[in-house]
Amino acid sequence: MKLLVTGVSHKTAPVEVRECLAFREDSLPPALADLKSREGVTEAVILSTCNRVEITVTTDDSADPQAIVDAFLADRKGISTQTIGLHVYRHEGREAIHHLFRVASSLDSMVIGEPQILGQLKGAYAAAKDAGAVCGWLENLLTRAFSVAKRVRSETGIGQMAVSISYAAVELSRKIFGSLNNRTVMIVGAGKMSELAARHLRRSGASHVFVTNRTHERAIEMARLFQGTPVEYTRFVSMLPEVDIVIASSGAPHYILRKDDMMRVIAARRNRPMFLIDIAVPRNIDPAVNQVDNVFLYDIDDLQEVVNANLRERMKEADHAEAMVAEEVERMMARLKVAEVTPTIVGLQGQLEQIRATELDKVRRKFGPFTPEQEQALEALTRGIVNKIAHGPISELRNHAAAGNPEGAQVVAFIRKAFHLQE
Amino acid sequence: MDEMSVIWLRVAVTLYSLGLLHAILTLVRKREHLFRVALAAFSVGAVFHFVSIVEEGIRNNRCPISNLYETLSMGAFLIVVLYLFIHWRYKVESLSVFIFPLVFVMALVSTMGNPVSAWSSPLVRNVWLTVHIVLVLLGIAALLFTAAASLLYLIQERELKAKKPRGFYYRLPSLGTLDDIISRSMALGFVFMTLAVIAASTWAFIEHKTAWVYQPAIAISFFTWGIYMALVFLRTTAGWRGKKAAIMTVTVLGFSALTWAAHARLGLLLKR
Repeated sequence: MKLLVTGVSHKTAPVEVRECLAFREDSLPPALADLKSREGVTEAVILSTCNRVEITVTTDDSADPQAIVDAFLADRKGISTQTIGLHVYRHEGREAIHHLFRVASSLDSMVIGEPQILGQLKGAYAAAKDAGAVCGWLENLLTRAFSVAKRVRSETGIGQMAVSISYAAVELSRKIFGSLNNRTVMIVGAGKMSELAARHLRRSGASHVFVTNRTHERAIEMARLFQGTPVEYTRFVSMLPEVDIVIASSGAPHYILRKDDMMRVIAARRNRPMFLIDIAVPRNIDPAVNQVDNVFLYDIDDLQEVVNANLRERMKEADHAEAMVAEEVERMMARLKVAEVTPTIVGLQGQLEQIRATELDKVRRKFGPFTPEQEQALEALTRGIVNKIAHGPISELRNHAAAGNPEGAQVVAFIRKAFHLQE
Repeated sequence: MDEMSVIWLRVAVTLYSLGLLHAILTLVRKREHLFRVALAAFSVGAVFHFVSIVEEGIRNNRCPISNLYETLSMGAFLIVVLYLFIHWRYKVESLSVFIFPLVFVMALVSTMGNPVSAWSSPLVRNVWLTVHIVLVLLGIAALLFTAAASLLYLIQERELKAKKPRGFYYRLPSLGTLDDIISRSMALGFVFMTLAVIAASTWAFIEHKTAWVYQPAIAISFFTWGIYMALVFLRTTAGWRGKKAAIMTVTVLGFSALTWAAHARLGLLLKR
């Protein structure tokens, strides 16, 4: 059996190439049926996302999977792989398994650790299953890839740190307040960005949103979005002691919050911490506010800095993840090799058991019937002999499988021959 | 002190103990349900306290501030009156967390001006002392937690203020979580320490008659308990966090160590 992954990704091909190869969701079932029906193909999966198109096939040993996939692409997409040869990568056998595990674990993604790819891969698998294009081997491999991805996600921090500005704001809020339950948010100046951040905060548990804006109608409109409360622009500072998180994005040309304002606010709050997010340009909040105890002020550059640090941290985590994937590939290979010799071992055991049973019958006919004690003794004796004989070849088979020696196949063939095992 | 006067004072102390209970519940459960009851008991206690002081004054025909016990009793009474006035005028419930335990301990110590008979059995004496030592150790353990969490809070706060996330930012818990740990362990530690102080003063009173109050080691203990109470008060009412709270916690821990050192030979008494 052969395994081949053929694909293009954001790393190897520009969007002009990727879009030529992409499969729309509704064109997947006929494509899969076509691929599966080709001579030699046993299983097939097609993964098509905006960042990658990958065709995975398993074929009989006698078939040439590369030629099959090339022909398939030429027929379906009218593309000769020679013309886009530079952009296409192909992985076989062990390399292919390694590649699949990396893709599932989001190690090959544009933003490392992003969670969508696993869902997309599961979608591709479901489509292939519906089309009857996977059964058995490739199915096992994909299921394995999913659990590897799950392990990577739970045992490394690869997906934990926020990599967008608005999520970084939520993450920082969590670092300051622990849980966001029962925290209140105030949006100063209604804009797209502040709306997005407030939405994330609300989803993470923030209990109430106040909205204030120079034009009050806009504030009312936006407050309705969050089932929040609109606040008059002139008196928003007096509301601040009730607020835990402030998102400022007003178009004011000067600072609307200064250090002495915030000192009064924080005293009125009895020093409970406050998180101020200033995403306005020019900035809305005097940077000196950050010097006030228990106030944490982040402007747009600070948030970007957090995102950058998170990306660096993800890279570090990716190293752990790579090691984990390599280890899982190793384990998978060992399992596959053991699976290869299993039929031989089972056959050998069956053969010997059959010989034992026949010989025992002969003895019974000649000298029987035996007392239960004698039966037991004979049983133990013959079983012991058979097991001792089988032990040598079986452990030889297992050792060769585990070590992955190239002469493994010869050992299997030799043992089959020596013990007259049927093909 | 006069026999009758001490009896009145003991009644007052019993009523004040409700105030202590209120303070403990407020700290540990973070809710105030006992305040009304405690305040009523506190006011009635003040009446008995007043009777005790008048009785003592009439008996000796002088203002009862001639020895430490009388002075403590008088001081506690004045604090009670002042607190009741402030509460009547400004309704500051939060102050009670600080005042109630203080008055209780002051009044308790001042009832100990009259020597009582020694322990009836050495077993009770030993158990009493053991309970005190265990309570102190629990209190110090809780205080260590508070100090450690305060330190982590300082580090995480600095990371967040610096806006350049590094290792600590990712690995330390959030400020909210740390704050929670600090509040809880601090409150628990304070409860243990207060019970330990009560146990210890009772023990010392019975063991050493009236001479114990003048020992410097005792003074250090009371002082340590006092600043612990101040820390608890400042955190719960003024919301002291970060650097201020950390420095204060470490100070309390330092004084606890000093108190421990001053009492290092206490364990030896167990064998006697």
